[in-house]
Formats: sequence, C-alpha cells, structure tokens
Amino acid sequence: MTDSMHDDELWMPQRRRWLQQIGMGIGAIALELMLAQEAARGQPPVIKDKPHRDLHPRATHFEPKAKAMISLFQHGGPSHMDLTDPKPELTKFHGTEYQGDVGFSFVNQASKKLLGSPFAFAPRGNCGTELSELLPHTSGVIDDICLIRSMHTGNNGHEVSIRYFHGGIPGILGRPTLGSWLTYALGSESQDLPAYMVLSDPGGHPVDGVTNWSNGFMPALFQGTVLRPKEPRIFNLQPPPHLAGQMQQQNLELLHEINRQHTVHHPDEPELNARMATYELAARMQLAATDALDISKETQATLNLYGIDDPESREYGTRCLLARRLIERGVRFVQLFHSGQPWDHHDSIQKNLPAICRKTDKPVAGLVADLKQRGLLDSTLVHWGGEIGRLPVTQDHGSPDRAGRDHNGQGFSIWLSGGGIKGGMAFGKTDEFGHKAVEQLVTPNDFQATVMHLFGLDHTKVSFPYNNTQQSITSSRPARVVRELLA
Amino acid sequence: MAIAAGCAISSAEEPKFESQIRPILREYCLDCHGATETHEGSLDLRLVRLMVQGGDSGPALVAGNPDASLILQRIESDDMPPGTLKVSEEKKKLLRAWIESGAPTNRPEPETIGPGIPLTDAERAYWAYRPVAKPSTEIQIDGDRIRNGIDQVLAQAMPQGLRFSPDAPREALVRRVFLDLIGLPPSDEQFQHWMQLAESNWYEQLVDSLLQSPHYGERWARHWLDAVGYADSDGATLADAERPWAWRYRDYVIASLNQDKPIDRFILEQLAGDELAGPKQGDWTPTQIELLTATGFLRMTADGTASGDNSQEARNKTIADTLQVIGSTLLGSSLNCAQCHDHRYDPLSHEDYFALRAVLAPALDPVAWKTPSERLVSLITQAEVELSSKIEMEAQAISAQRATKEAEFIKNALDKELMKFEEPLRTMLRSAYESPVDKRTEEQKMLLDKHPSVNISPGVLYQYLPEAAEELKKFDATIAETRAKKPAETFLQALSEPPGHLPVTKLLHRGDLNQPTREISPGKLSVLVDETSNKHFNDDDPSLPTSGRRLAFAKWLTQTDPPNPLFVRAMVNRVWMHHFGKAIVATPGDFGKLGSPPTHPQLLDWLALDWIEHGWSFKHLHRRILLSTAYRQSSNRNPTGGSIDPDNRFYGRRDLQRIDAEVLRDSVLALSGELKPELFGAPIPLQEDEAGQVRLDPAQPRRSLYAKWRRTQPVALLQAFDAPVMGVLCESRPSSTVAPQSLMMMNNEFLLEQSEKIAKRVISQSGASNTGASNSESAPQAASGWQLPTAPASPWRYGTGTLHKETGKVEGFSAFSQQTQGRSHPGVQVPDATTGWVFLTESGGHPGNPAYPAIRRWIAPESGTVEISGSLSHGSQNGDGVIGSVSSKLGQAGSWRIQAGSVSTAVANLAVEAGDAIDLVLECGQQETSDSFTWTVKITLNPMASQPGEPARNSIVFESAIGFRLQQEDTSALGRQIIAAWKHILHRFPADQELAVLSRFVPAQLELLYREPQRLSSGSTPTSQVLTNICHMLLNSNEFLYVD
Repeated sequence: MTDSMHDDELWMPQRRRWLQQIGMGIGAIALELMLAQEAARGQPPVIKDKPHRDLHPRATHFEPKAKAMISLFQHGGPSHMDLTDPKPELTKFHGTEYQGDVGFSFVNQASKKLLGSPFAFAPRGNCGTELSELLPHTSGVIDDICLIRSMHTGNNGHEVSIRYFHGGIPGILGRPTLGSWLTYALGSESQDLPAYMVLSDPGGHPVDGVTNWSNGFMPALFQGTVLRPKEPRIFNLQPPPHLAGQMQQQNLELLHEINRQHTVHHPDEPELNARMATYELAARMQLAATDALDISKETQATLNLYGIDDPESREYGTRCLLARRLIERGVRFVQLFHSGQPWDHHDSIQKNLPAICRKTDKPVAGLVADLKQRGLLDSTLVHWGGEIGRLPVTQDHGSPDRAGRDHNGQGFSIWLSGGGIKGGMAFGKTDEFGHKAVEQLVTPNDFQATVMHLFGLDHTKVSFPYNNTQQSITSSRPARVVRELLA
Repeated sequence: MAIAAGCAISSAEEPKFESQIRPILREYCLDCHGATETHEGSLDLRLVRLMVQGGDSGPALVAGNPDASLILQRIESDDMPPGTLKVSEEKKKLLRAWIESGAPTNRPEPETIGPGIPLTDAERAYWAYRPVAKPSTEIQIDGDRIRNGIDQVLAQAMPQGLRFSPDAPREALVRRVFLDLIGLPPSDEQFQHWMQLAESNWYEQLVDSLLQSPHYGERWARHWLDAVGYADSDGATLADAERPWAWRYRDYVIASLNQDKPIDRFILEQLAGDELAGPKQGDWTPTQIELLTATGFLRMTADGTASGDNSQEARNKTIADTLQVIGSTLLGSSLNCAQCHDHRYDPLSHEDYFALRAVLAPALDPVAWKTPSERLVSLITQAEVELSSKIEMEAQAISAQRATKEAEFIKNALDKELMKFEEPLRTMLRSAYESPVDKRTEEQKMLLDKHPSVNISPGVLYQYLPEAAEELKKFDATIAETRAKKPAETFLQALSEPPGHLPVTKLLHRGDLNQPTREISPGKLSVLVDETSNKHFNDDDPSLPTSGRRLAFAKWLTQTDPPNPLFVRAMVNRVWMHHFGKAIVATPGDFGKLGSPPTHPQLLDWLALDWIEHGWSFKHLHRRILLSTAYRQSSNRNPTGGSIDPDNRFYGRRDLQRIDAEVLRDSVLALSGELKPELFGAPIPLQEDEAGQVRLDPAQPRRSLYAKWRRTQPVALLQAFDAPVMGVLCESRPSSTVAPQSLMMMNNEFLLEQSEKIAKRVISQSGASNTGASNSESAPQAASGWQLPTAPASPWRYGTGTLHKETGKVEGFSAFSQQTQGRSHPGVQVPDATTGWVFLTESGGHPGNPAYPAIRRWIAPESGTVEISGSLSHGSQNGDGVIGSVSSKLGQAGSWRIQAGSVSTAVANLAVEAGDAIDLVLECGQQETSDSFTWTVKITLNPMASQPGEPARNSIVFESAIGFRLQQEDTSALGRQIIAAWKHILHRFPADQELAVLSRFVPAQLELLYREPQRLSSGSTPTSQVLTNICHMLLNSNEFLYVD
C-alpha cells in the first residue's frame, strides 16, 4: 500500500463529510466513488499509525557510516570562485562583458563585467585539489575533504535557498530541518543532553532566525536546543547552592510522585509523559552539560589547533571545540551559525572576504584534524557550506576596490568530511566562469538524501504525517544519493 | 484523486470553457498568450471571443469545427507548446470535444478584460472562498449531549462508535473556565463559591460572571495582540528603538473587549478610526481619541525609519509587513506571497496585492513618508496649553523677582567691595563695571583686569554674599515647583492620512521598488468578487476629507449580506483555537493550499452565521462555545475513543492544554498574593538578572500582558513557554515541551522567590500553630486524620549529668524535659529544687549546682573526624567563674576556666564513630551564683570515605546556636500547612498516595535541613523551607501546568 493510499484511509471520514457538505455536482460524484472504494475494502475507516514522540535510539534501514554530524553553516553565500573553485578563464577575461544570461538580485548595481578573483589558487595536499590562499588551514586537511563544486539551488535568494537546505523545499517555511529529521529517525545516543544542539553566534541570530533550527510540523522534541554564545551557555542550568544536590533531588522525587499520581487520571497522555521526561532530562543535563561545556581541561595544544589562542578565531574556535565535546557525549546533530550573513559580499569583497576566512578557516580545519586524531572522524560527518555562491560578474559600487559579487544559486561549492565520505576528492563542475553548475549537479535534496544515506537511512522512508500526506525531508522531489562521494 | 475522477465523469456532458478548458490553457499556453501585457503573436487565449478573433496567424478557433481551429492543430501536432512539456492525449481529446460542441462558456464573457489571467471556477470553488453557508440539516438540540449547533455539527462528523465524553467534574470546569476566560486561577474563596453554588445553572452563571470580569478583556486582548504583532519597540534596526506609546493601543483592545464592542465596529475602528474620527476641532474628544488609538493596529509592525534606516526599502518593508498582518489575521491568506508575482498556489494575484496596498497608500505612502515619531498625536488640550502658559507666566514672574533680587545682591556686594578701594579709583571702577561689556573702553577693561575682585557675576556672588546665594536658591526651587505643575504632554501612536492625499500606486515588477509598472486602483481580492462586478473601492466620497479607502475596505471585510467568507471564517477560527488549543483550520493565517484544510468546515460556517445573527458579539460567541458539550466534556481518555480517534481530531474528549506563558506567570503571582490587579497603563520595565536573563521589574507584579514587549529583549520566562518574540506577527503559538522549561521552573529565581511567598501566605492563612481550628469544610477522611510522622532526631541534646573527674567522660546524661521561652531546662520552673539554676539557651545558659552542670551534647550522624571551634564567655566579676570542658568517649579533649572574660575553645582532630556523643560540659566553680555564660560552638565533621579509595566527602558544619533554634521549631502545624498548600495551588486535598509519599518526604527533608542548616535560606526555618519546596514542586506539577 502506498503512502497516499494510506493517507486516503486516514482522512476518509472527514473528506466524505466535507464532500457531502459541498453537495455540488462534482462532489456528489466523487462521494459515490469514495463510498464505492470504502465498500470494496469492507472495513470502517480507522485512524492509525501515529508518529513517535520520543528520542529512543532507533534502528537504521541499513548499516550506517555516520553516527553524528557537525554542520558548519556559512550564511550569505561564500564566493566559490575566490575560495574553492579556480576559474582561469574568469581571470583572463576580467573586466570584459559576460556573454551569458545572469539573474541579479540587486538590479540597481548590476553589471555584466566579469570579475576575476584577486586571490591565488594552488593545488593542496596529496590529492591536489586547488584552494585559494584564503584557506591555508583548510588546505592542510584537504585530503580528508570531499569538495562539491556543482551545488545548485536554482534560486539566488538567501531565504529561499536556506529553507531548501534545511527543510527540503525552496522558500517554504514551517518544515522540520535536517537536524529534526535525523533526531526523529535515529533518536538520541545521549540520555542527558539534547540530541540536536545549535551553537549560536554572540552577534545574534543568522538570517532567517529561528527557522534555521525549527522543528516545523514535528513535535518540539525534535527542535534544536540553542546554546547561548556566552556564559552561562544554558540559563538556569544550576539551582542556587542551598537547593543543589540532595535537596533538589528530594524535591524532584516528590514532583515525580505527584505527577505519577496525576497520570492515574490521564493515562497514556504523551504530552504529560514528555513533560515528566523533560524534568529527568533537565536534572541529568545539570551534570552533563556542565561537564560538556567546560573546556578548561583541554590542553593548550588542542586550544591552539582550533585557533582559540588567536583573538580573531577564538570565538568560532571555541564553538567548534564545543561541537566536538558535544558529539563525544552522544549528541547527534550540532550546527554552528554566524550572526546575520557574513559571507554575503555584495560590496568590497577583496577586503571583507579575507576577514571572515581568518575567523573561520583555522577553527574549521582544527575540528577536522582533531576529530581525526581522536578517531571520531570516521563516524562524524562534518559539513561546511552556505546556501548559495556568488556571481562571476561585478556588483558595481563605483570603484574597483568596492566591487562585490551578487547572489548565485546556479552553481557553488560546499564540502563534506568524515562519516563515510571519500576524502581528497573534488566533485562536479561549474562552467568556465563559475556561474552555473554544469556537470554532476548536486541539489540540496541530493545533499539531504546523501546525508541520510550515510546515517543508514533511506530518505524516502523517514516520513511524518502532515497535511494529509506522509512528509519526508525531500518531499517526493527528485533526490539521489550521490554515491560517487561515498568512501 | 476524487476531484479528478469527478471531472472525467462530468465531461460526459459537454465541457465548458471556464471549468475545463481554461485550466488546460493556463497550464500550457497562457504564460505567453495571456498572462503578460503583450501577447506572443498577438494571440490572447484568455477569452473564447478573443480566440475567435485570433492573432497574427488569423483566427485561432472556429466554434463547432475542430479541424479548422488553428489552436487545436498546433496543439495536436505538438507544435505547441514549445519545449519538452506537451499536452496529454486526454486533454487534447477534451479540447477537441469542446470545440466540436460549439466552444460553450458557462456564462457570457465580460466586455473588457484587464491584464492577467482570469480565475478558474475551480479556484473560485476552493472552500475558503465559497460563500458562508447554513448547514443543510436542522439543528436538533436533544437537551442532553447535543446542547447546541456546535455539538450537532461535531457529532455528525464523528466516526462511527465515537461520542462525546461525559462533562468534566465541576472542579475541573471551574478552573478551565477561569483560565480560559480571564487567564487567572480562581482564588480560594471564588473556588469555594462556585463549588458550592446550589443552583442548577451554576455553570451558565460562572461563564457569565467571568465574561463580565474586567480581566476577561486582558486575557483575550493578549490573543489579539499576538495576531496583530504588538510590540513596544520599533524593531527593524539594531537600535530596536522603544515605542513609548504603543501601550495605549493595547489598552484600547482591552477596553473594547470588555465593553463587548461588536467585531465589525472593532475592525472598522482599527482600520479606519482616523477616517471615522474626522478632523480635530478644538481638543480631541474622547471618542476621537479612542478612534485614533484604534488605528495603532496599522502601526504595529516593525518600522526602523525613525531609528537609523529611512530608506525606500525600509519603508517598503514596513508597508509589506502591515499587509502581511492584514492578510494573515483579517483574511487568513498568505498575501505576502503575491508581493513579487502571482501567488504560486492560491488565486491571489500580484495585482490583488497592489490593489490592497493602494488601500493603505494615502496613509502609508513610501514617498510622503512619516517616521514613527512624526506620526505621534499629541493629546494636549487647549485648556492644558493655556494652563501651561499661565503657569509659565507665573514662573517668569518669580524669575523676574529673582532677577531683581539678584541685581540688588550684586549691587550690595559691589558697594561693599568698592569700599576697599580709594577714590577716584572707586568711582572709576564702578563706572567701568556698570558700563555694558561691549561698550567698555580699553582703559575700563584694563582697569577691571587689574582688579579682578570687582568682577562680581551671578556665578560668583555666593563668594561675596553666601546668604544671598541661599535666598536665590529658594527662588530657583519655587520656579521649578511652579513649572512642575504644568500638565505633562502625552501622545498616542496613530495612523492617519492627509486630506485629499491620493498617491498613485504602481505595480512593482518582481516587487522591486525600482521597477514600477502600471497603475493599480484600490480594490478587493479578485477571488471574492465575481467577474462581472466592480472590484474597486471608491475613494471620492465628498463627505469625507480623507480618501475613504480604508473605511471602504473595512466595510467590505465586515459586511454581513453576504459576509466576507475569508474574514468571518478567519475570526471564528481564531476564537475557536484559543478555546480549544487547536484551530478548525490549523493554519489560522493561511487558508490557502499551503495551509491545512478545515477539520470541520461546516462548524466554521455555523459559528460564523450564528455570530453575525447575534450582532457580532464576542461575548455571545464565547458563551456559545463554552456552553457546548464539546467544551464541557472531560479530558480523560477512554478506551473506545482512544482506539477510534487517538489524536482527538473529532472532539470525542477535551484536549489537555498546557497553560500559556502569561497564565503561568500570572497564576504564580496570584497564588503568592503579589499580583497587582490594576488594569491598563505604561508597560512594566525590563531588567536583567545576575546571569543576564531578561525579567520583568519585580517591583511591579502586574499581569504579563503589561510587560514591555520589546522585540530584541524577550522576557526569559515568557519566551521559554512560547510567548512570541515578535517579528511580524504570531499566527498561533506552539506548545513546546523542552528541558529548558524544566530548568526554568526548577532553578529560576522568580519561581524560587514566589514559592517562598506562597508558602508564607499558606502559613499565615492556615495558622502557624496547631491551636487554630482546622478548616471547617469537610476534608476526606485520610487528609483530615493525617498526622505527619514526628520530626527526625536532631543531633543536639540538652541535659545534665556527671563529668567523671578521672575518665573525663560524662556519666548519667539526663535530657531536660522542659522548653520555655527559648530555654531548655529539667523542672517545671527555673530554678529547680534539686538541680538549681541549670538551663541552656541558643547561645549559652547557666549551670546548676555543682552536681548538675549544663551539658550540650552532639551526636555524630556519621563516622569521621571532628574539629571544634568556639568561644566561651563569662560576664560577672562576682562569684567564682565557670569551667567549660569538651568530652567524648575518649575522655576530656579540652577544658577552660573563665571568669569575667572570654576564651577560645578549639579542639582539633577528634575521631568519632556514628552515634558517638561529644559533650560540651559547663560546670560552676564552688558555687553557682553569677554564672550566666555564652558558649557558641561550631562542630565540623569530616566524614570518612564510605569505601576505601573513594574520594573524601564534603565536610558538614553544625552550629550549636542553629541546632538549638531548630530544636525549638514547632512542626505541629506543618501537616495542616501542607494540606492548605495543596488546596491553595491545586484546589483539592492530597490523595492518600500523596500523603503516603509526603510521610516519607517531610522527615527526610527535615533531617537534611537539621544536618545541613546552611541550606536554610535567610529568614526561613526548616518547616517553612520544607513547605516552600513543596509549593515549588506543586507549581512544577503537570496538574498545575496543564488545564484539564
């Protein structure tokens, strides 16, 4: 039985009445058909198959490679032709008119003058993948990285593509994010930390705000828990000293008994059980989170690896290190965000792009190296990338030093590492100017299908009922597991 | 699937253009031959007659002759459409059949056609746009479970075997209706009243009485404020500037709801209050003020144009957000999707969007823009202005007196100073000084320079005449006092348009400000207007100085004959959602294809028509809903209902609902008695607690509705429980269940402080001692007879005995039996005939005659080593002093003789096993006169590791004074207080099982507090701390956090 048939059955009584109420020609005939279908099946309609609402660890569809994921989301659209995708032709024709069609977001500053990258590229590592001089540390771990140069959202807008990456449909709000789907499908390995955690930026929310870690139509259990960007990283984590320890424990035991008494009148009420579980989780978090968030016992060498010794990379490095500490403790999905969209270089790209690279390059590379030296990289998938890339033509602000690049969802780069991904490879191509992906296109849906596959999941089979249909992250849109990337 | 099948079957009749053919053309052809302003090959396929007319290649259609029709030829040959997508065989057949039958239409085609694609019948037939219709069956009240139309519609829709649950028990209903209608729990008295009311219509009385409560308006205003995006700040920029007068709109909403303003009037005022108010003549009248305040509705969205970003884009965003609120809240439509292009899924065109934008344009004109501060309306009256100027004149008069006085003082000072100089210098100096500064000669200037002490100015006058300065200060104070009497100027934020201002609204290509195209007139949503009617709003009513556009729009929304289907359904759906915790259309801001379908479309319409029939009265609608069985039924699950409808989509029981953030905070404050129930006023200021968490000023314990809702500073407690962090608006709140909420409830200072206050209130109301008669109302057997087990043993004992001179051990310890006035002693009276003056107090005591020393004994609760610090003092020169000794089973560990002085009594490293006694023995010398002493001691126990190799455990401190105080504690009332706490917070007696749990919990916790008295927060005793903890846990309980 297909999902849609199942769903018909689920909603039959309601739909029948609705059609009755319309009482019009089309409806009446459809109603007859439906009644005939019901009669043929010979059973009263029954609503069944509720989605689960817990975080128990669950079986995968097949043997997984990845157990956890750290996603380093780079809001704004990192400029691939300046970072990861060298374009000699672009340099050669710098300053000349681009012949292809371009969609602009900022029409008032649009130009078709090609803008060659001012940054030097060179082959890196044993694999020889070329990266720009702005990424010296990422270059050092390139042999563990699979660089995808043919990403394609087809939409140049930020929010449209952000929601595509997180929720599976371009531009649509109210859908669960990748982290929600993974924690829904797999449950939590940790009994005392949330399965899906978000490390936010001291500067504030990223573009599109809390949508970035929304549970959409799923229960809130599958929503990302946000760690504050500064101490205390979790508010109200500890009671005042006079309550701490035994007294609070006694109190919570009393609470549990009062609640247990209450469930006598409300047996099998999932919401009440979930509430009781949050108290147990909270009590365990008090111990576990305090430990997970304390980096004081890390060695100086580790701190340096993440760039925590350098004021420019300290903050992002600290969050990368925290991500590792959370993964070590069984957290399933950790995502790092920036404030706003620091990669959105419409303006003065030559000056501004190096700054955000200095903030992130060392921490990101340090994370990959650290996971590897601890033997965690095999089971931890690391993702780096934004929602779009940038155009090969100039966004004109009057003077060359203020030149920038407008949005480009037609072709751009992201990278993956670990968790069953083949290292040291570059995949896919954009055209000679880096405008459009032309070979081996990868869409956000392909990306999601591939991530799910690495976790041992068939993306079409992880589904949740909503709006009369069984929803999945890729939402019945074309999506393929990009097997070429698998180790 | 069903619909498609329906199409195929009805095509057995002849296919019609609007219903079957136009959708095919729309899918394949109209992008090039209809949608755009110019058409490919000059061919327009939007109307049949235009097809007949044809384009560059001649007529496209010959009715009745398919083979002669160019359009069919091109399609059948797959020549058209270009590209890979081709028309299916099935559809080709349909087209052929249609042409063959003479290319019929459902109705005559319009004379003219504007730009864009006409709507299809299927689009118009979508449920949300259909006219609101009466249910087909008569409502039959059966007097039992079918109490009104709501019940009938719901019951009809139920799957077989499902039925309504029985009504909830009375106590559950009382709490349910209180929290739902006024957002506050019943007080103990109110609860009793409604439980005991004997009349059979007690429930109706309860509903009516709460609908009359002024707190009703507060509770339901908050729901509306969510839907309109209320905020006390401008947002949009990092500054998030405060919006100091937004609260007047909030108060307007509260007052309107309390007076049961009909919704048509309510909406009219909010959309067009300024147009109704008319121009200012003299002072603003109270009615005008109310009407202008109402337009605050259109000033709620983020607007950074006064705080750093007054760009065209920023203005445009503010207008777009306002339209989004109108679309979502008033039309249940995701209108904002049509800002850049036709809505992808719903029949809302790009043009529709700009037609509504044109409605707002005279007031929200991006060219003639006004920033938020420029839109403020001053409420100062002519009388106040006059009063102010009168007061100012008074102030000036005093000022003049002061000036005269000052001049006089300066003259006196000058005269005096000049006396220090001889003539003729004196006269020259005077003349120089008295010349105006700009008229002084060089000589005069030099003269004054040379003699600076003559330069007496008001600023330095005090140095010459100190008493003059004092007198002038008195003048200053009087002037300030006078000016302070001026009436303060206050404002309201309103939206209004300049008279006769009719800016042109142009459609923006792709929503881009830089690409305006054609002019758009103000108009209704096309899908709600039939093709032949005028969809435009008139804006030339000569009786109105304003455009009248918003007034016309508001009237169109609230018309009743026929009702605007989107508006009335959106409103009813919203009210239902707040009563049931789930809406009939689960996406209250989007009734379109991307939203959810209605679970009970007929119910929506029944409620809507019933509401209109009863004059759009909100209170009628509430009453109707609350009196239904659907509302009153029990929330308990039952096996039958559970198997048929586990998710309760069909209302076979009531859903358990978590209380809202505001209800949580307000209830806690109500329980502690701190809640200030005053309505209205400026918002409660925000603060940050020690950790940096945003909280409300604790000095203003008003309802959460009155919080300052700043976009960038959400109140942590409210936000944790899903109160919105305002972006544009909050369509509906999620009800989340996450660990941070539990941490908030367990550890946040607000909950801890309030728990303590609730405990104090319970103590003061239930009586602190056991002497007061217990509550007269009948408690269940178990609760009334419940005795808390005796409090656990304290480690401290007080008594007397014999200190054996050789062994140094105490023998024959005998505990005192009497406790009076802070003293522990052996006989009924002190002195006692046998033992003499012996007694012990918190800090000291008095020894008895030489045979009866005062002994303070400590019994080790665990094994380990003990360190003792202390101080022994004796005050009197008379007598012969006292001897203090520390003794254990190992013998004497220290001994100090002291008279009229003080000595430290330290003992280090004394090993003890659990149960061992350490005695602090105080003996008199030869005789017991004048032997009052103080001896406070701190015993630090370092417990042994319970297993070898385990880490050392924290030391425990025992202070003799605290120990004595604890011993004095009267625990006899605790049991009754606990029961009172249960009654106060949960409105019921503890159940037997709960009493059993408490019988273990209380002694265990008292013991912990005796053992670790540092756990007592200041001002609390062990019993009050236990009660505080119990109250705290009751606030954390599911029973408190959920409404049955």
